[in-house]
Amino acid sequence: MKPKVAFFDFTGCEGCQLDALNLDAQDLIDLLNGIDIVNFREVMTERSDNYEIAFVEGSITTEGEIERVKRIREQAKIVVALGACACIGGVNCLKNHVPMEEALRIVYGKDAKYYNTIPARPADAVIKVDYYVRGCPPSTSELVKVIKALLLNKKPDIPNYPVCVECKKAGNICVYEKGQTCLGPVTRAGCNAICITSGRYCWGCRGLVDEPNIQSQKDILNKYGLTAEQVIEKFKIYDTCSEVLK
Amino acid sequence: MNESSVLVIESDPIVRESLSGWLSSTGFEVTSAEDGAKIIKVFAKSDFNIVIMDVRLHSETQLATLREMKAIRPWIKTIIITSHPQEETVLEAKKIGVVDYIVKPVDMDDLQKIIQGTVESICRGNLTDDNTSFETSGDDLVPGIKKSFAISRENLSLMVENLLKEIEVVGVKAKQGKYIYDRIYGFYELSLDYDVTVSPPTRYMFPPKETLLKFKTGNGNYVEPVIEYTPRVIIGVHPYDIKAIELLDEVFMNHNPDPNYIARRENTVIIGVDCLHPSPRSFAPSMGTNWTETGFDLLLTDIGNSYIVKIGTEKGAELLVKHTKYRLPTGDEIVRQKKVRGEALNRYKIALDTPKDRIPKILEESYDDPYWENRSATCLSCGSCIMVCPTCYCFDVKDEMALNLKEGERFRRWDGCMLVDFAKVASGENFRKDKASRFRHRMFRKGKYILERYGKVGCVGCGRCSSACLAGIASPLEAFNALAENIRLKEAATSVIQAAKPARDIYTPEMAEILSVRQLTEKEKVFELKLKSGKKLGHYPGQFVTVSIMGTGEAPLSISSSPLRGKNFQLAVRNMGDLTSALHSLEAGATVGIRGPFGNGFPLETLEGRDLLLIAGGIGLFPLRSLIQYVMDRRYDYGKVSLLYGCRTPAERVFTDELDFWQNSKEIDFHETVDMPCEGWTGNVGVITNLIDKVDIDPKKTMVAVVGPPVMYKFVIEKLKKRDLPDAHVFLSLERKMKCGVGKCGHCQINGIYTCQEGPVFSLTQLRSLREAVL
Ligand SMILES: Cc1cc2nc3c(=O)[nH]c(=O)nc-3n(C[C@H](O)[C@H](O)[C@H](O)COP(=O)(O)OP(=O)(O)OC[C@H]3O[C@@H](n4cnc5c(N)ncnc54)[C@H](O)[C@@H]3O)c2cc1C
Ligand code: SF4
Ligand code: SF4
Ligand code: SF4
Ligand code: SF4
Ligand code: SF4
Ligand code: FES
Repeated sequence: MKPKVAFFDFTGCEGCQLDALNLDAQDLIDLLNGIDIVNFREVMTERSDNYEIAFVEGSITTEGEIERVKRIREQAKIVVALGACACIGGVNCLKNHVPMEEALRIVYGKDAKYYNTIPARPADAVIKVDYYVRGCPPSTSELVKVIKALLLNKKPDIPNYPVCVECKKAGNICVYEKGQTCLGPVTRAGCNAICITSGRYCWGCRGLVDEPNIQSQKDILNKYGLTAEQVIEKFKIYDTCSEVLK
Repeated sequence: MNESSVLVIESDPIVRESLSGWLSSTGFEVTSAEDGAKIIKVFAKSDFNIVIMDVRLHSETQLATLREMKAIRPWIKTIIITSHPQEETVLEAKKIGVVDYIVKPVDMDDLQKIIQGTVESICRGNLTDDNTSFETSGDDLVPGIKKSFAISRENLSLMVENLLKEIEVVGVKAKQGKYIYDRIYGFYELSLDYDVTVSPPTRYMFPPKETLLKFKTGNGNYVEPVIEYTPRVIIGVHPYDIKAIELLDEVFMNHNPDPNYIARRENTVIIGVDCLHPSPRSFAPSMGTNWTETGFDLLLTDIGNSYIVKIGTEKGAELLVKHTKYRLPTGDEIVRQKKVRGEALNRYKIALDTPKDRIPKILEESYDDPYWENRSATCLSCGSCIMVCPTCYCFDVKDEMALNLKEGERFRRWDGCMLVDFAKVASGENFRKDKASRFRHRMFRKGKYILERYGKVGCVGCGRCSSACLAGIASPLEAFNALAENIRLKEAATSVIQAAKPARDIYTPEMAEILSVRQLTEKEKVFELKLKSGKKLGHYPGQFVTVSIMGTGEAPLSISSSPLRGKNFQLAVRNMGDLTSALHSLEAGATVGIRGPFGNGFPLETLEGRDLLLIAGGIGLFPLRSLIQYVMDRRYDYGKVSLLYGCRTPAERVFTDELDFWQNSKEIDFHETVDMPCEGWTGNVGVITNLIDKVDIDPKKTMVAVVGPPVMYKFVIEKLKKRDLPDAHVFLSLERKMKCGVGKCGHCQINGIYTCQEGPVFSLTQLRSLREAVL
């Protein structure tokens, strides 16, 4: 029996789901041989509540969303967080740095009073998450890697070491050598340091490693000329529920 | 030059005289000798073109002489005299590069033809070849190993351009104010006067990621080794990096030879270049790696308009002759080479404050120094230091499946001791969990362990790690100097190279069939297996194998059965994670891969004739059972045998039928206990150490074997010491993270040793000197 898979979106841009379909035809056929997609808003009209694997995309930002994601957890055997928003809170967490009313006003202008919002949080702040497809947007290969791992019933090969490892393997020149700053030393690898390789720096979209040395990273950012505020700004990408900003 | 000077080496005086006489009469200049070994010095100085050598007597020594001659002068033409053209000596001689042979008794007409032909080939050959017009010519232009020539920049360019036509060329290029190794397409791209590259050239021999095996599961399943390489020339390698490559050669080509590395290394030509403008962070002279006499095919020194090129190998010589023009260096050029080298030496900014031979001793004495803790406080565990290090070579091994979930590959990728999970095993135990212990381990590798194991420096002083470390703490030089300050320096450590155990293809598993599966407890099963080849596994009690399920991965598992019980063997397995749970889902008839047996088991000879005290905690019984069975099978070889077994709850007791059997057996004094009883349990309750009180021990006669979880060891050892057991009588089996099983990947390292090679069974005496073993 092929496992039935459903995709659900919460607060986010849905860029993750769209990107997920960026597979070539043969890969898609191979993938569909292994799983049965029963609910995927972007591509299918048919819906079903009969699924074993739920992909949850976006961060949790309202009371209603908390209820909904809990219901999904009850139904699904396996819950997978898809994308930075679901995995670490992502860009939605940026609103946590301003008072809630302020956030509402910024987003909805004078209609703010009709909306109700709570601090944005990643899925695992509310429910137990079994697998994470990290990145913003997550790459197709990452998604495929996680799906394969769950079909094979093994842990996906997502390293618990920082982006620097993959950055060095790629033979890159460290951006600090060029006077720029980078969150590679505390961000979980698995993306092959794609941003640095393509000429930018790491802004931390894959979340922190398990034992980040935050103090040391902050000292380094300071040493490279960032002010305390700029350092905090840099770290905003990571989940605000975490210790990072304290 | 004289094209017809011949050296005749022939032990029979009559043949020697007549041969020499005849050769002189036909116009050759002849020197003759009775024994090759004696004439080698003369050979090195004079300029023979042809050597005729009798290899019928003392063929081994004669061949050795031939090899030596070839090394001095690769293109010397040699003809051997033999009595049988098919014999091994002749085949071997051909490998060395003998051009022809003469069968005894010598027919002078034949000999003349052969020699004439050889002389002609010399005239036509390399020296006057149309493609190779020399700027000057002379006897010394025969490009022998260790000879130096001069080559103009234009001709170096010519060589590179010619090489580019036939092979991939990688060289040092400038990029964003730094230097990197990269593929080049023209000589103009090279920057040969660089300071240091960001990443070392070792990645061309040992890439960041490479496939080891390809496999398919299910129908039509197979497992095939994958060895990928591209023949290439690397140009611009500095001496310290050449020294690093020599270390990797030692690690990967000599001890459990690694087929993937060997294939790549043998297809790589190294053109080195002296480092004249060192990086300010380099301390190569302190490590003795700023110059090298070995490890390159060609080595260049930039002396202004031209280069001095030194020949390191026959391959290098050939390349020079084939692709460019060169000449003898002038006296002035030789002086200039000395001068630029001298100037380069003065450009190094930092140095060791102590001779490098003292580093191992300094480290040894600083193991508990607060330095490690203090200095590593800012470490990000980012791995940058080990990823840019030319002497780092640890790796991880993983399986990756294609989307069809049937085909897949097993690959390895760089890993290393500075990363948090490097020494963490499935049960969650991390044998180097704090930054300080990882930081210290790396420095010990660099300054002590590698040197002691392989006889070569573990840090070549390139300074890359200190440039890469954002926290600014990674330089071994800084650590060595800081520690040296605190210490009274003593003598250098001796180097011990462990004997290699040969293995043919060290990464490809052999297939084995699961014959039966038996549930032991909720989480544990025992599997009976047999190699598909029908061969016996050939293990000793206490050794382990790695079990592969293609697509899932590999895990080390002890062999649970005695080698004396037929061709089958048993593995008892606790379901802990990926591999073990996949194994648990398999049934009789399924196939798994096996590599091994690996490591050292229990010291059977030492145990023989003694009283034995065997102690197993929890699933420590799995490995110990192979010894218990073995001892029971040869019960007459041992004195009194006692067995103590403890586990947490009655439900976790494994091999209960055997426990009952031992309980009732007169041949073994068996005691067991559980930490927490349940209803109906009538046996002992309490920790396993209590059981030790129940046995009579004669410390002189008794040998102890203990296997259990790490916490157990400490208490058991304390108790045994109270009963006066000497350290040398106590043997323990240690668990560590393992990937390769062959002493390469680094995961199982405890200080300077590899658990997969020297362990997993150690005597307490051995462990006392291994401080990371924490007992
Ligand atoms: C010499 C030796 C003998 C062993 N004998 C037995 C035995 O007889 N029976 C038994 O049940 N178990 C034994 N173990 C432990 C067994 O190897 C681990 O339980 C197993 O590796 C877990 O792998 P996994 O893929 O199921 O777990 P996962 O959690 O999926 O894998 C954890 C990761 O750690 C790696 N790893 C490497 N070495 C170890 C290790 N020593 N322990 C745990 N993880 C490790 C695994 O390869 C994997 O990459 C032995 C270990 C060693 C070193
Ligand atoms: S560029 Fe960023 S990821 Fe790369 S090594 Fe430097 S800090 Fe690490
Ligand atoms: S380099 Fe950093 S920002 Fe870029 S994908 Fe990787 S984790 Fe995300
Ligand atoms: S430890 Fe540092 S200095 Fe030594 S060889 Fe490695 S990178 Fe170079
Ligand atoms: S154990 Fe040695 S070779 Fe391996 S990463 Fe550490 S320092 Fe490098
Ligand atoms: S020593 Fe430096 S480079 Fe190495 S892991 Fe620590 S912070 Fe990273
Ligand atoms: S070195 Fe790889 S397991 Fe021991």
